[in-house]
Amino acid sequence: MIQTFIVEVIIENKPAARDPEGETIHKDLILKGGYENVKSVRTGKYLKFLVEAEDEKHAEKIVFDLCNALRIYNPVVHTHKILVKGG
Amino acid sequence: MVKNKPIPVKINLTPKEIRMVRKLLGREPTYVEWGMFDIMWSEHCSYKSSKPILKKLPTSSPKVLVGPGYDSGIVDVGDGMAVAFKVESHNHPSAIEPYNGAATGIGGIVRDILATGARPILLIDPLRFGRLETGRTKWLFRYVVKGIGDYGNCIGVPTVAGEVEFDESFETNCLVNVACYGLVRKDKIFLARFDKPGDILVLIGGATGRDGIHGVTFASKTISEESEEDRPAVQIGDPFTKKLLIEAVLEVLETGYVDGVKDLGGGGLTCATSEMAAKGGTGVEIILDNLHVREEGMNPYELMLSESQERMLLAVNPEGLSKVLGILEKYEIPYSIIGKVTDSGKLIVKFKDEIVASIPPKYLAEAPIIKRKAKKPLNLEKLWRIKKPKEPKNFSEILYKLVSTPNIACKEWVYQQYDHEVGVRTILKPGGSDAAVLRIIETGKAIAVKADCNSRHSYLDPFNGGAGALAEASRNVVCVGAEPLAYTDCCNFGNPEKPEVFWQFKRGVEGLAYMSRKLGIPCVGGNVSFYNEDSESKIAVKPSLVVVILGLIENLDWITTMDLKNSGDQIVIVGKTYPELGGSEYYHEIHGLTGGKPPKADGNREKATLQTVMEAIRKGLVTAAHDCSKGGLAIALALMAIKGKLGVKVDLSKIPTSKPIRMDELLFSESHSRIILTTSTKENAKQILKIANKKGAPANLVGKVTDDDNFTLTFDGRKIVECSVTQMERFWKETIPKALEVG
Amino acid sequence: MKVAVIQFPGSNCDLDVVHVLRNILNIPTDLVWHKFFQNKIYDAVILPGGFSYGDYLRSGAIASHSPAMEEVKKMAEDGKPVLGICNGFQILIEAGLLPGALLPNDCLKFVCKWVILKCETSRTAFTCLIPEGKILYMPVAHKEGRYFNLEEDLKSIWKEQQVVFRYVDENGNPTLEANPNGSIQNIASVCNKEGNVVGLMPHPERASEKILSPYKNSDGLLLFESMINYLKR
Repeated sequence: MIQTFIVEVIIENKPAARDPEGETIHKDLILKGGYENVKSVRTGKYLKFLVEAEDEKHAEKIVFDLCNALRIYNPVVHTHKILVKGG
Repeated sequence: MVKNKPIPVKINLTPKEIRMVRKLLGREPTYVEWGMFDIMWSEHCSYKSSKPILKKLPTSSPKVLVGPGYDSGIVDVGDGMAVAFKVESHNHPSAIEPYNGAATGIGGIVRDILATGARPILLIDPLRFGRLETGRTKWLFRYVVKGIGDYGNCIGVPTVAGEVEFDESFETNCLVNVACYGLVRKDKIFLARFDKPGDILVLIGGATGRDGIHGVTFASKTISEESEEDRPAVQIGDPFTKKLLIEAVLEVLETGYVDGVKDLGGGGLTCATSEMAAKGGTGVEIILDNLHVREEGMNPYELMLSESQERMLLAVNPEGLSKVLGILEKYEIPYSIIGKVTDSGKLIVKFKDEIVASIPPKYLAEAPIIKRKAKKPLNLEKLWRIKKPKEPKNFSEILYKLVSTPNIACKEWVYQQYDHEVGVRTILKPGGSDAAVLRIIETGKAIAVKADCNSRHSYLDPFNGGAGALAEASRNVVCVGAEPLAYTDCCNFGNPEKPEVFWQFKRGVEGLAYMSRKLGIPCVGGNVSFYNEDSESKIAVKPSLVVVILGLIENLDWITTMDLKNSGDQIVIVGKTYPELGGSEYYHEIHGLTGGKPPKADGNREKATLQTVMEAIRKGLVTAAHDCSKGGLAIALALMAIKGKLGVKVDLSKIPTSKPIRMDELLFSESHSRIILTTSTKENAKQILKIANKKGAPANLVGKVTDDDNFTLTFDGRKIVECSVTQMERFWKETIPKALEVG
Repeated sequence: MKVAVIQFPGSNCDLDVVHVLRNILNIPTDLVWHKFFQNKIYDAVILPGGFSYGDYLRSGAIASHSPAMEEVKKMAEDGKPVLGICNGFQILIEAGLLPGALLPNDCLKFVCKWVILKCETSRTAFTCLIPEGKILYMPVAHKEGRYFNLEEDLKSIWKEQQVVFRYVDENGNPTLEANPNGSIQNIASVCNKEGNVVGLMPHPERASEKILSPYKNSDGLLLFESMINYLKR
């Protein structure tokens, strides 16, 4: 049975790669604003897909495949997390 | 000495080089020292294959202040001012991560200019990609342009010129070259050397991480599936830190307490310290524990080889240390005091109180030269002699098609993404003329800048391709009213271990040297990028010797643009047309042909044309000027008409040509030494012809500018080409946006 | 008369503005590092273009928290002329000194080109010498210049004459083609209710010398000359 799923993709720079934007937000905004408890900030890109699929696994696979085929993220510098919600 | 002791780290040195290292040190190197030799003796850092060839280039003239061998070449532009400029390649990183590869390419070249004490004032980006239709090309093209734009715009340095060339040989290995020019007072030039023992070494800028370990040796291997996994090889650029570095370094140099500046690029700390100490004839002591880092537990090998971005090294007079640190703190630039300049004649590296490396710097900086074999490819002669295609009749249709081909089509899509106005110096903006022109506010003069290369010509004839690149670059700056002063070159080739590729490189440089001598224009530096070859298909890029030139305009009244100005203006052509369709856009795009006799770059002809045009412009005789290159004179006239929104009527039988010559050869041959001029009266045209005659350049009055939409080329009364200027403009403008906005 | 140009980390059009003020208009001008900026000695202040803090998070977002902005707010309250150019405009908006928001261009790319503007009001400190309806030529160069505001607030700013310039074609019409970034109602510049604080996306300092303009004009100079005129009153 075909259902509609929300699939979220979060793309971040690999932990070993620098994130100058995150670092600057942390140093020049968060820390200067007095929020010393915040130890680090990393930025990323958030994509929200609405996908028709048979089940969660199917929805996840569709998005996983398209991310690779269409170079939604570049494995050289990015990691990505895929989260499936709803049915 | 144990001869066959296993080497504890992965290195790319040859057995001969390994023996040499052991011999020089007289002992077994530590693993850190192996890493340092590996990186310093890599092709990218040492130029071990290319140095003997590059020596052929003339490098001096009365205006050259600093020639090759330093961070950038520096040329006197009068009134106490000098221009520093350099070109670099970032081909391999861009081919696997176009956005960051291109961005960090800019980061690197800007640091080189900064290290001479100059303020970077402009960028040029010559780019080469595969066929525009492929998905890979569109991906690389989009993101390289975005990377250059985002980085250059953020640091506030205008990207004012460039070129984009498409050819199937660049499909896997795109070429991303970037050039930077900077302005500096003659008496404030810094040379990269540590020559004052006692000076304190301060590392400034980004924190050191494990980035790029083996990035430089990566550039000395070919691209294959494996490299997509080479995670640390492409770094993330940080233009914000770079901008702060630019301002801080310039301010710190003003204090007078800084004796040496070096940027950390390929080869990281190892390269910076060994080169600076070798040039200064001194030694250096570094305590690695002091480096400001962003990753835990880095070992000395990683610290010495890291290529983390946005770092520079200062040699500071101890008396001024607190003042210098104060400026760094104002800009909130991270720094660490990592050592000092000594007179030991050795590069000594300490970590946790142990000496992990102790090497005389010149051993690292002077890698043994490798003499490579050069052999002419067997198929070249045959390619030259391919059968000419049947002469077509529909020239109007061909012109419409040619004006829309990717190499000729309008590149507005590219340069509108670059801030080309920041700095309020840009007088002639991208897309408007043969070269970009920027004013030197301090002196009331202006400089003209351009990059040129024709890979298809070079493939068929590297000698004339190399000579031709300088000829074309010179023509371009002359057309905007400048006198060419000096150039820097970026050599992009395949695997030099292949004799055919090395032959291309050798012949290309020999051609460049020939034209340099003939025109009296010296080379003040350059960059060599080898191994641009797909390891699977073994397809090497077409040899691309890019010439990046600097011209000087002493009088702003001489500034000339290419757009047709007034109906009634007379059209004069200087230079002779030869049947040289080899490597032309016409052959490649209209007939699908690779081959034929490519254009010859003759130094005497070129000199005659350049001198004619320079004198005509200075005498106030010229209203518009444009040189003939890709697409030949038909395209050159078409572009002048499109930009001026005026028509043209030209009698092709008046064009000076060698005989016999076919109609398509006349229209589309890419012969050198030709410039099209317009002038307001027939009397002026006669004067131009007189000058040409005096200089020994063939020239003739061939037509006039008209007040309508008609682009008409006739021969003995017969209409050969009849096109609408607005229609040509539409085709010319459509190609790139259409290719990139759809899929 | 003394004018300050504030330099934030990442500003890059500061020297350009200083050049126009000092070398062309002979106005005593100080280039002040943001940490050291104090409002009392200055009669006017200009926030120049660039990429303060790399445009990280949002253009102008981090700079708006700089202590310099407290000083700028005081100058705004005192009725002194405050001009925000491009990134300066973004900072004024983030700091709450001007209404609305500046979003990424609708084409999602950086755009650098010359545009045509129409002056909508002469009541501001920077347009008092520019007649309403006058056409000016200036370049833009930005990635996040799309002016946006909610319907109610738009009505209000028109009513209060807070729209200063709009993107138009040669005939003065605010067409789609004339709009380089998708700004709502082709709005290129707004001011505060009092008219002393103005922000605009185009760069007047790049259009102050004929030699740099493809139209051989120096329309940008009119904004700075208006400021001098306003101060002399």
